Amino acid sequence: MTAAPAPPVILVANRGEIAMRVIQAVRRIGGSPVLAASAADADSPPARAADRVIVIGPAPAAQSYLRPELVAQAALNAGAVAVHPGYGFLSEQPALAELLEGEGIAFVGPRPETLRAVGDKGSARRVAVEAGVPVAAAADVADPSDVRGLGDAIGYPLLVKAVHGGGGRGIRLVRDADELAALAPQAAAEAEAAFGNGALYLERYYGAARHVEVQVFGDGEGGGWILGDRDCSVQRRHQKLIEECPAPDLSDERRAVLHDAARSLVRALRYRGAGTVEFLVDTESDDVVFLEVNARIQVEHTVTEEAYGVDLVAAQLRLALGQPVGLPDVGPVPPATAIEVRINAEDPELDFRPNSGELTRVEWPRGPGLRVDTHVEAGYRFPPYYDSLLAKLVVRAHDRRAAVDAALAAVRATRLEGLATTLGMLERVLAHPEFAAGPVPTSWFGPVWEGRAS
Amino acid sequence: MTPREQPSWQDLLDLVTRLDGGSYDAVSVQVGDVSVTMSRGGALPPPTAPVASAATPAAAGPTTPAAPTGATIDAPMVGVFYRRPSPSAAPFVEEGAEVTAETTIGILEIMKMMSPVVAGRAGVLTRFLVADGEAVEFGQPLAALDPGGS
Repeated sequence: MTAAPAPPVILVANRGEIAMRVIQAVRRIGGSPVLAASAADADSPPARAADRVIVIGPAPAAQSYLRPELVAQAALNAGAVAVHPGYGFLSEQPALAELLEGEGIAFVGPRPETLRAVGDKGSARRVAVEAGVPVAAAADVADPSDVRGLGDAIGYPLLVKAVHGGGGRGIRLVRDADELAALAPQAAAEAEAAFGNGALYLERYYGAARHVEVQVFGDGEGGGWILGDRDCSVQRRHQKLIEECPAPDLSDERRAVLHDAARSLVRALRYRGAGTVEFLVDTESDDVVFLEVNARIQVEHTVTEEAYGVDLVAAQLRLALGQPVGLPDVGPVPPATAIEVRINAEDPELDFRPNSGELTRVEWPRGPGLRVDTHVEAGYRFPPYYDSLLAKLVVRAHDRRAAVDAALAAVRATRLEGLATTLGMLERVLAHPEFAAGPVPTSWFGPVWEGRAS
Repeated sequence: MTPREQPSWQDLLDLVTRLDGGSYDAVSVQVGDVSVTMSRGGALPPPTAPVASAATPAAAGPTTPAAPTGATIDAPMVGVFYRRPSPSAAPFVEEGAEVTAETTIGILEIMKMMSPVVAGRAGVLTRFLVADGEAVEFGQPLAALDPGGS
């Protein structure tokens, strides 16, 4: 026997359940995981699961997890060959990718130029249009007193947006041509007053659309894998609550449009690694429009993994290390259905207010097709500094109906005490006949939750 | 180097470099009233912080200072700690020196950017707890400080 080479050191630059997930994947490929943690997470379960911890800064993320130079320095100190950024934090920041590139350390994610190209809405839309991907019809307003022709070309309802607005300001919804003709001059005047520039544009509005996304994995050369789709339409204020793979009730034609569009983007960007192409799928027309590219592993990657039987995080690491990624060629629809529910440390009865403190009891369900991705255990003090995701409960079954039943049973068998969680809300959704019949649009959850019988 | 004078820091650096180039395991040199003691084994009093401390999960967190007693000056973030502004320059401060809150005791290199580390409070810097050029973590004690009566 020859001596085994030293395992490659991989720095895990994240926290919470995704840090735990990445550490598992590092072990799976035979690597040595080192965690870059804030002081608040220096004794967390992921810290104990890693071979080594490097404390990069104090608890506030702005002084630790969000500082590319600290993460890059930790990678140097650790002797890492690659850095996995997880999701959020620095995962889509070209600055970290570039610092690492300069040190000859692999960034587990797309190239910096890809992060830039898809990093803002305008640039991402241009990339999509060039790649032949359907986008929401939109047009710049040349003359606010002559907009009927533009409006008719786009279709109603539509949104009137101030070019220089932002953060939801300067947006008006109009339902027909008369309303548009009356509102456009007024909106231009308001934009002039509010933003110092009266420029407007019109964009098609979809009031009852589903959120469907395609999982891609690019080889960095223009080719890669399309690993099915996910429906993430159960949302509260744009926060996903439940995701499933495959997206239910999608015709072969529509699915092909989505997957082909995603494939075109992978080719156009010469996309490297795991990514998600998000779309709105209208339930009132045949329209499918591009939303954005998420250039990272996503929270809900688990349902794709379970439905197809793959390990996307291990594939990311192998690609970064220059090894064969080990993904199979798969069909557009997986052989099983997987559903993920996000358990958050929030109180649904108090407008989903996050809470922190000690978890006194933690019990997970067991059984066939069950997976729990979490970093918590009994006695863990859930810190107040970061996001509220506590665990992801994932079930796999032979069809959607069985998967919904399994998810409901799994939620009911979960015991979490010491903190308010969203388990009760998830139980209500999973037991709701409209969710069980599926699919629902993104506008479904809000009114259903607000109108619930208490 | 004349024995009647205090050796300059450059003299000492030259001495240390020469001793380092020799085959000694441990060596002690007296120059006037300055003594230099070096060891490759790490069995030096005062000891530097064990190199393994950075490799012990969570051992170097801010709640578990390695200093036995008194106050410490802790690393404000991850980085590589240097006691001198450049490899050939004298250290910012010596062990046993009095410092004010604003005294620079070293620099922390983060991705080739240098940030000064200040004492943070007045007192006597009794000893350094990490070696020059050592990789350190946030909160890791860099030096022991005796605030004295101040």
